[in-house]
Amino acid sequence: MATILKTDKVCKYFDGVKAVDKVSIEVEEGIILGIIGPNGAGKTTLFNVLTGMLAETDGKVIYKNKDITKLSPQDITNIGISRTFQNIKLFDHLSAHENVKIGFHTKTKTGFIDAIFKTKTYKNDEQKVNEKGIKLLKRVGLAEKQEILGQNLSYGDKRRLEIARALAVEPDLLLVDEPTAGMNAKETRTIVELLDKLNDEGITVIIIEHDMGVIMNLCDEIVVLNDGNVISRGDPNYVQNDPAVREAYLGKGAS
Amino acid sequence: MFWIRQIINGITQGSIYALMAIGYSLIFGKLLLVTFAFGEMVVFGVFVSYYLYAIAGLNLFLAVIIALPISWGLGMLVDKICYEKFRDEPRFLMLITTIGFGIFLKSFTQLIFGTGYRSYPNFIEGKIIVGGIRITYIQIFIILTTLLLLYGLNLFFKKTKLGVGIIALSNDLDAAKLVGINVNKSIKFGHSLGVVLGVFGGMMMVSYYNAIGASMGPILGLKAFTVVVFGGITSLPGAIIGGFTLGILENLSVATFGSGYKDIVAFVILILILVLRPSGLLGKKIDLF
Amino acid sequence: MFSNSKISNIIGKLKGIILENKLKIYLIILISAVIFPIITDNQYYIYIGVLTLMYMILASSLNIIVGYTYQYLIGFAGFFAIGAYTTAIITTSYEVNFIFVFLISGIIASIFALLLGIPTSRLGGIFFAFATLGFGEIIRLIIINWDTLTRGTFGIPGIPRPKLFNFIINTNTNFYYFALLILLVQLFISYRVINSRVGRAWLSLKENSEAAKAMGIKIAKYRVLNLMYGTFWAGMGGAFFAYFTQYVSPDTFVLDEGFRIFAMVLVGGMGTLIGPIAGSGLLTILPELVREFARYQLIIYGIAILLIIHYRPQGLFGAKELAQAKVEEKK
Repeated sequence: MATILKTDKVCKYFDGVKAVDKVSIEVEEGIILGIIGPNGAGKTTLFNVLTGMLAETDGKVIYKNKDITKLSPQDITNIGISRTFQNIKLFDHLSAHENVKIGFHTKTKTGFIDAIFKTKTYKNDEQKVNEKGIKLLKRVGLAEKQEILGQNLSYGDKRRLEIARALAVEPDLLLVDEPTAGMNAKETRTIVELLDKLNDEGITVIIIEHDMGVIMNLCDEIVVLNDGNVISRGDPNYVQNDPAVREAYLGKGAS
Repeated sequence: MFWIRQIINGITQGSIYALMAIGYSLIFGKLLLVTFAFGEMVVFGVFVSYYLYAIAGLNLFLAVIIALPISWGLGMLVDKICYEKFRDEPRFLMLITTIGFGIFLKSFTQLIFGTGYRSYPNFIEGKIIVGGIRITYIQIFIILTTLLLLYGLNLFFKKTKLGVGIIALSNDLDAAKLVGINVNKSIKFGHSLGVVLGVFGGMMMVSYYNAIGASMGPILGLKAFTVVVFGGITSLPGAIIGGFTLGILENLSVATFGSGYKDIVAFVILILILVLRPSGLLGKKIDLF
Repeated sequence: MFSNSKISNIIGKLKGIILENKLKIYLIILISAVIFPIITDNQYYIYIGVLTLMYMILASSLNIIVGYTYQYLIGFAGFFAIGAYTTAIITTSYEVNFIFVFLISGIIASIFALLLGIPTSRLGGIFFAFATLGFGEIIRLIIINWDTLTRGTFGIPGIPRPKLFNFIINTNTNFYYFALLILLVQLFISYRVINSRVGRAWLSLKENSEAAKAMGIKIAKYRVLNLMYGTFWAGMGGAFFAYFTQYVSPDTFVLDEGFRIFAMVLVGGMGTLIGPIAGSGLLTILPELVREFARYQLIIYGIAILLIIHYRPQGLFGAKELAQAKVEEKK
């Protein structure tokens, strides 16, 4: 299998605090990679660095054999990496459907002239975002809620909408940050099934998650971060039994 | 000789800017109150002193001394109307309320005191010649008063409970609450202090240039903002350095290009600073929006 | 006496009626606007009508900028001035068809917006507001000082009437319909742009710029485009002003003029097309009804802004998000 994403000694320091320190990981195409670790381990910071939201202090990020270290978040989205946010970032005062429509931005071309004269481009784009938007909402189970404003959705639905919106950019690599946080067991299961299905369709997934059930179920491979460093990596079985992981989670002496 | 005189003019003007900028920096940089009405408040306060002096016939110094507590009250009023209800809300609401209040206060000032320019008396007349360079007493007065006030403010922020409290809550609001600082009271006090400093700076300015007009507000506000951004929004020493720098630059540019372009220089400087170095010379970057 | 619940009940019902008949109401307003100069022959009323329509054009253009991307353009009068002076300078020297003059005035305003927008595209809130205030003043000072081009404080008189074939737009009634036409075209175009990919990109950066970035939307590009589009109409409004009054001078384009239009947008409600129309209608016509208030006009504007923000932050007909400002997290 080919490597889709590779990081080479990626570092992110804040005023001397090493949030992410020399992290080197490789992600194979088509897998689901879990990133776990205690709070403050640097998981979300790593996502922000990968997606260009934060500039790395040092190191390199390679996506499909291309150096994307210095690319802007927009360009990174453009080449096929999409994400959701730990602290949900929806367009709160727009409907669920409009939220997803905005997600198609890079996949549509309408400019001023097209919009003013309703050219063919405009018509094609509108048809595309309307239909595909509804389809995506159906996929995540929000078909009946398309007219509800982002801010009025339930917590679980917000997370679902964020995933739908992230899929609108038609990514090859999807980064999801705690997609099941705050959900009950039933809701969690639907998210797991959804991610599994997306993966079957060929999308590589990197997931940050605290729910070990989800991680163990879903992931082909797991990376454990602690204090900004990779302390363990391997398949779920291996990681589960790695003394270093137990130590990080439970403190010294626990193993 | 010519250039030295321009620099002395610049230092005088810079002292005035520095005072106004400290007031502005206190409000905007320390208390994080977005304000668009600062210039209007300054003009109103100065007009009150003008009115007391020219219409009510009080002694000039008495007029100034009475106008300052009135300006303090204006500061309280603005806090009540523009800020109190919006402390925990998105900051652009403060921008809008102060724009609204600024429009109101400017027209109100015009209505009461008239739309034209009035001549404002010199605090002190006379001049001395040192080595062929003419220095007026008012210049000396302004520079000395500014230095004295800066010294006093420094003591206030370092030694008094209120002053320390204001600095503390600008550094860490939650921690300030924990150690028992009355946030609401400190903000009100700090805001009014900022307004009074601005008004006092404004009085010296109109006394120096002998003219006051009700429509000067927005430009004064813009100048104060420029100086504060230039020096570094969160830094009071930055405001002082910014004030002197802008004062001197303005006067040198007048000498070079002629007076019609004085304000253009100030505004071009402002836009350049905002674009190139939004955190200013000193001071941390703050993200208000 | 009515109880509170009864009153809110009535208001609720009224709202329902208005919402259900939105199209009909717009149609009635449009028809009244069209027949207004026919049913009155009072020239003064029609003159006020022309001014009101001009402010509607200006407020609608500012609203595109403030209401759809939260760029607080305080120096708006500068763009209005650029449009008016472009028209004045062209028409007093050359004979150019007025349609081209309008377009050129709009485009020149847009070019200035580009020059201002690129360096300021990363500035938020008050920083952008003050930068544009400075810009507006720079424009006014340049107009005053560059007297070989602008005649400085004397202003430029003698702007010819616009002419189409043999028809000269001359009377107040002519200008009234002319302004109405511009406004309708503007609203039509704005409606289409807002309900397209471009408008959605604008909304996304107002709503959540982080998420917009993650959707691949180039923030700076869309901010500048928004500024250019809005100021294009400001330039058109300026051209209309120059043709209508036949005289431009720097006194017209003081900061107050920008504040006045800002107040119209805020009071009417930003972020909807109808809001600024209502706001400019109300704030131009009301002070005329009570002539004694003319002196207090800006005072009323200031108080109106404060009252609106305190009691109805979304404005009379504004987009919903400001109403919920309270529950939003502090930024």
